[in-house]
Parts: sequence; structure tokens; C-alpha cells
Amino acid sequence: MSTSRRKFINLLLGGGLLGWLGSIFYPVFSYLKPPPVPEANVNSVKAGPVADFPKNSGKIIKFGRKPVILIKMDTGELRAFSATCTHLDCIVQYRDDSKQIWCACHNGIYDLRGRNVSGPPPRPLDEFAVNIVNDEIIVSKMKEIG
Amino acid sequence: MKNIFLRIVVSGLFLLFIKPDFILGDVETLMKTDNCISCHIEEEELPEDFNKHDIHMQKDLSCSGCHGGNPASDDMDEAMSIEAGFVGVPSKKEIPEFCGKCHSDIGFMRSYQPRIPTDQTDQYYKSLHGLRLKKGDTKVADCSSCHTAHSIMPASDPRSSVYALNVPETCNACHGDEEYMQEYEIPTDQFTKFAKSVHGVALLKEQDTGAPACNDCHGNHGAMPPGISSISHVCGSCHVNNMQYFSDSRMGAAFKKEKLHGCEECHGNHEVQKTSDEMIGVDDKAVCSNCHEPDDKGAEVATEIHKQLTTLATTYEKALAQQKEVEHKGMDDLDIEFLLQEAKQSLTQARTLVHTFDSVKVTVKVKEGLGKADLAIKEAQAQIEDYYFRRRGFGAATFIITLLIVALFFKIREIDQRNLNKEDRR
Repeated sequence: MSTSRRKFINLLLGGGLLGWLGSIFYPVFSYLKPPPVPEANVNSVKAGPVADFPKNSGKIIKFGRKPVILIKMDTGELRAFSATCTHLDCIVQYRDDSKQIWCACHNGIYDLRGRNVSGPPPRPLDEFAVNIVNDEIIVSKMKEIG
Repeated sequence: MKNIFLRIVVSGLFLLFIKPDFILGDVETLMKTDNCISCHIEEEELPEDFNKHDIHMQKDLSCSGCHGGNPASDDMDEAMSIEAGFVGVPSKKEIPEFCGKCHSDIGFMRSYQPRIPTDQTDQYYKSLHGLRLKKGDTKVADCSSCHTAHSIMPASDPRSSVYALNVPETCNACHGDEEYMQEYEIPTDQFTKFAKSVHGVALLKEQDTGAPACNDCHGNHGAMPPGISSISHVCGSCHVNNMQYFSDSRMGAAFKKEKLHGCEECHGNHEVQKTSDEMIGVDDKAVCSNCHEPDDKGAEVATEIHKQLTTLATTYEKALAQQKEVEHKGMDDLDIEFLLQEAKQSLTQARTLVHTFDSVKVTVKVKEGLGKADLAIKEAQAQIEDYYFRRRGFGAATFIITLLIVALFFKIREIDQRNLNKEDRR
């Protein structure tokens, strides 16, 4: 048997062995790889570029497990609050006609500081910090005092 | 040098005439320099409820601020003379005017707090308490019954008798006293009922100052039992949608015609409980059957609304259980949770729409919620399936690896054996 043919057969066998090992271990590693799980404790999230967010509008973003309402006021100032109504946990929305935060479930109304001004909500909405980094909106938890 | 001297003089004059808050608040000094207080302390004749934290004391308004007299004089007769404006202790009937002489004077009150209301006396005389006092009933509440006489603190102060959490006890001091209230022939169990109600639990147990106390429905200075026409407005001041739906409904018009109390007929008043889907329909717990016969049109609508609500509630509960299982298995439940939140919102809105008494409107909202809940269930099932797929796959892979290890073990043993045999042959 010539050397080149032996080399070729060894290469073929070696390649085949590698393929066989791959087909055995690939599923093993894929099963070992943990499935995607939501981040347990989120401290800040990206909410998209500033330019994509029109004035006098609001949108709901996912802040970990909590919905957060991000508002761009007429002045261009950005504010963010917990979007969970303090009455019965419905998701609030921004009203561009009255420029208020409104809960459709029981007509609860909050001002643009998140303060409950009418309807059944007993408490204000929690505020989140909004920063702009490289034209990207970053919503983060308010730093605790002290 | 001249400038410094001028500044000292101006500052001195400022402190002398303007008297900023840090000087006004010096109660301890006041207690020593005010002859009314120092003398009454010495004679041990201070009122029982005297409290140096009283808002008037804090604002430098000592005894003479209300009772008149001259606190600068150390002569008792002169200090408490008519010439010095002494008015002494007002009679029960005089109390509203006694407090009102300052509290109804916007010019005077503005110097303490620009936004302070000055209509308390007017409101009081239009309240049931005030109307009765005018007629000579001296058992009714006056200003001091609720605010105390000498421990008056702002309503925002938790020590105040009129602080939100303390209001029910303050009202109950008279309204819960069977003997005292006997001649008025009104119930005295309002506090007991309120404490068990959804509002009472939130206020008294959970200490939620956003929950309503007595004055939020009855008014405070103008306290009155809400009338038939105003009852839905009272509840509607917080439960806005419920009131709007009810007022616009055929039921609302019928209630008005029959002179029925809006909300109270179904929810009660002081003992108002957290609502449940069982309240609507024709079952024993349903309030609809208080008026409707089991076979009339109203009962039919109520049954349909109940069916719709329970369908969504059951599906939501099922989806919630699935989400909990996904969470327990450590799989991704984030999107499922958001879907559930939307389904719950639809359920809440559908429950509010009950006040339209329109089964079509409720059904539309229920369908919206069912769509979300079904999607949540589908996603949860996919996650659970993925979990079991991973477990089965992991089991199979572990089995193959174990098999390989065993085969490898035998192979090594076989090679060793072969080598030993070779050595023996040599």
C-alpha cells in the first residue's frame, strides 16, 4: 500500500472519528448549557435612541420583570415611572391630550411627576432615573438616599 | 465700617419686627415669659389636654391668642380683665365663632399659610352638627370635639386627632357611644363595620393613608350623611369609571327613578367589602337576585356577565399556575408574566364594565383577556415542554457517556490483558 493512500485512509478515519465524537458531545453540551432565564435583578435598561422617541409621547418598556413608562414631555425632558398603577396593578399609559399618566382600569390619574391626582390610586408611582449616554436613553433605578 | 453698622441695625430691626419662624417656634421661652402659662403652671391649673406641641403654641399664639387678656401683666385681675379683651372659656354654642374669629379671616390666616381654607365655620353651620347646635343641641360635635381644645395639630401630623389614620377613632368617640347617641336613633356600629370593610382594613390595618376615612365620604366640617343623589358622586370621587358606567347605564336611570341609593344598594356602605365575581348572577351570594327574579331579563344578563367573568378568571388562574410552574422549573417566564399582566388588566376592566350592565361590553373585554391568557398558557407549555425535552436529552447524553466510559474501561482492560499475554508468550 502506497504512503499517500495510507495517509488518505488515516485522514478519512480520523475525520470520521472526530465527526462521530462531535455528534456525541454536541447534544451533551447543548443540554448542559442553561436555558435563557430572565435577569433576576435589573438596575438599568436601554430604551432606544433619543431621536426615535417623539415629544409629547410615552412608551412602556420592560425593566426586568416590571413595566416602566417612559415619557418625553413637550419640552423634550424625559421622565420614567413604574407603569404599575398603585390601585390594582393595571398598566398605566401616557395621555398626549391631557399630558397626564392615566390608568384605564378605574380612571386613575397621575401628574408628570408621578403623583396621584385623582381617581382611586392611593400612592404616587415610583420614579426611575433617566440618563442619556451616547444618544441612547438609559432608564435606571433611583439611587437610595443614605 | 458704616456699612457694617447699618447691617447690624437692619438685622436687629428685622428680628424685632418680622420675627421669623425660628423665633416664633421657641415654645420653652414662651412658657416662661407668658404670664398666663407660667401662672397656670404654678397654680396647677393648666387644661388637662394642654400640649406644648399645639399648633397655636408653635406659632407663638399663646392662651391670649384665643382667650384674650394681657399675658404681659403679672396682675391676675388686670391680665384677665374685660379691658384687656379677656373672653375666658367660650360656651359650647360660642365655640365655632370663637375659633372662626381667626380661622374665617383670610387676611389673618394668610400670614400663616397662604393656601389655608377659611370656610370651616360656614361649612360647620351647614353640617348636621352645626344645624343642631344652632337649634340648641349642645351634645353635637363642635370644633374642639374633633380637634381637641389645647392639643390641636395639623391634619398632616400623625399625632393629630384628625390625622387620616386617627379620624375613625375620633368620630367613633361619640358615634360609637350607644348611650350618648341614644336620642339620635342612629346606628352606633359604624366603626365596627368600617374596620371590617375593604376601606377600613386598608386604612386601619395596613395604615394606608390613601384609603378613605369617615370624612372622605361624609365631609369634615360640613359633615352630612350622603343623600340618595349624592351617594354615587361620593363613591365616584375615587371610583370614577364605576360611577360613569353606572350613571350612563339603564340601571342608573332606573335607580334614580325608584329613588334607590346607587352604589350602596349592592355594595353596602360602612361595611363595603372587596368585590367578587359571585356578587353578580343569580346565585345565593349574588346581589342581583335581591331585586331580579331568576327568569327575568336582568337575571339573564347577570348570568351571562357572571359566566364571562368566571371564564376569564379561571383561564387567568390556570395561566398563572402555569407561569408559576415555569418559574419553579427555572425556565424563562418573563414574557409570560407580561402577558399575564395584560390578561389581569382585561379582567379588572371587565369587572369594572359590570357597572354598564351590558353583557356585550363585558364579553368584548373578556375576549381580549382570554386571548392574552391563552397565549400565556401556550408559551408556558412550550417552556415546560422545553424543560422536559432538556431533561430527556440530558438523560440520553449521560447514558451514552456512561456507556462510552464503560466501553473504554473494558477496552483498556482488554489491551492490558493482551499485553500481559504477549509478555507471557515471550
